[in-house]
Amino acid sequence: MLTKKQNLLETIKGGNPDRFVKQYEFMHFIMEAPGGRFPQPGETIKNDWGITFKWPEGQLGGFPVHDDEHKVLKDITEWKKYVKAPVIPTSDEAWAAAIAHANTVDRNEEFVTLFVAPGVFEMTHHLMSMEDALMALYEEPEAMHELIDYLTEHELAYAKALIDHIHPDCIFHHDDWGSQKSSFISPAMFEEFFLPAYKKIYAFYKANGVELIVHHSDSYAANLVPFMIEMGVDIWQGVMTTNNTPELVKQYGSQISFMGDIDSGVVDFPAWTPEIVAKEVERACRNCGKLYFIPCLTQGGNWSSFPGVYDSTNEAIEKMTKEMF
Amino acid sequence: MSKINEVKAMVEAGKARLVPGLVQEALAEGNAAKDILQGMVDSMRVVGDLFSAGELFVPEMLMAAKAMSKGVEVLKPLFEDQSTSSLGTCIIGTVEGDLHDIGKNLVSMMIGSAGFDMVDLGVDVTPAKFVEAVKDNENVKIVACSGLLTTTMTKMQETVQALKASGLTGFEVIVGGAPVSAEYAASIGADGFAPDAGSAAVKAVELAKN
Repeated sequence: MLTKKQNLLETIKGGNPDRFVKQYEFMHFIMEAPGGRFPQPGETIKNDWGITFKWPEGQLGGFPVHDDEHKVLKDITEWKKYVKAPVIPTSDEAWAAAIAHANTVDRNEEFVTLFVAPGVFEMTHHLMSMEDALMALYEEPEAMHELIDYLTEHELAYAKALIDHIHPDCIFHHDDWGSQKSSFISPAMFEEFFLPAYKKIYAFYKANGVELIVHHSDSYAANLVPFMIEMGVDIWQGVMTTNNTPELVKQYGSQISFMGDIDSGVVDFPAWTPEIVAKEVERACRNCGKLYFIPCLTQGGNWSSFPGVYDSTNEAIEKMTKEMF
Repeated sequence: MSKINEVKAMVEAGKARLVPGLVQEALAEGNAAKDILQGMVDSMRVVGDLFSAGELFVPEMLMAAKAMSKGVEVLKPLFEDQSTSSLGTCIIGTVEGDLHDIGKNLVSMMIGSAGFDMVDLGVDVTPAKFVEAVKDNENVKIVACSGLLTTTMTKMQETVQALKASGLTGFEVIVGGAPVSAEYAASIGADGFAPDAGSAAVKAVELAKN
């Protein structure tokens, strides 16, 4: 039996996996690394960039607050006045817990994985609201290029710190690039503004020992797959059914793998049942096949919003392994 | 090309800086303000259709809406003291517990562009606030409820039920958002559903004219 790591590599390299990869099983997350602050349920916090996030009690996540009082970047042409990147911790103490955790991982079995979020695109709209950020791409392109360069340099500095302290094998990088039906911006605009940033960031990780880049965008982004390949993404996690995943596997499978095709919104809700989960998992596995595909909830992490859904999905994947391998 | 057609083309292209001047020129050419406004409404319909078809993206839609609003600013003084072609008032908001505003804002822009007076209640709006807004505003024809989270779908249902049980009449309720389907909309008693911002405007006009 292959290790989790071997089985993942066989799957994404078009080899001979001996089973379906069960969602995030190959990633061993080191969540102790210093990084962005996220709110807990019911909390409102201000993060190190000054962005206020609110997580309403009983709901599924935290959201940036963008009324006039809380918006960090009030005028893109004056971004240097408003946007101040936080200092990246360097003390041994700050990194000790993450290093200790990483040292416990058998790297032959799993990938030591660091979670990086939010990405460059999300940062632009967290700072100033989606509307302002998207219109600025048209109205103030020079300032947006400058801001994106600044955010990219900060990401690269953070990447260096992660590499120096943890030597990760895998980066799980969040940046949502679309709604469930469409990318937020056109491919041409993405190519101009965000592709160069991501080529730098992912090339830096790859040049410094990171074997696997997993990019999370639980959205439609089929029109951006050629750019994902160009920037060095190994696995697109979060691929929703609206992308026609089986077709993507056929078209691009030898260059990038797809992780998802089980839409969280369809299976992970208050009235979920194991039967609904099993039906979706079977559809995904049969349609997408055994290579270049990892059946997974589209949610960006190894959990589910409602207790039991994540484990039930794993059980359904095991069942499909028995039937298809 | 007539000036109205130039206005339309520039709204579709999202040229917010050019539209006000062109609207002035269209007026100087002798066009009626209401015809220029109708031209811009038609342009936004084209933009909405292209968005629905996946040929335009959010920034283009935002820029077109901004261009139109700049044009409307020029026309506004001409409509004072006379009844405009308003289709009525539309109350819009994201339901309680949900802070997503991008989809709601796009829908608001598109419905506003179609000729409604918009009252945007923002995000995390309780059922009671929706009902209150219908009471507090005149000529409410549409109430639009948005939600992106599966957990807030129950709040959407509560909102629709509160509006229907309020005893207030003369308006239709439309719902939308990622987890919402036409079947779900019907099951909770909504009058309409739209899968995206462009279609929401079409649906709002259709319901208001019934």
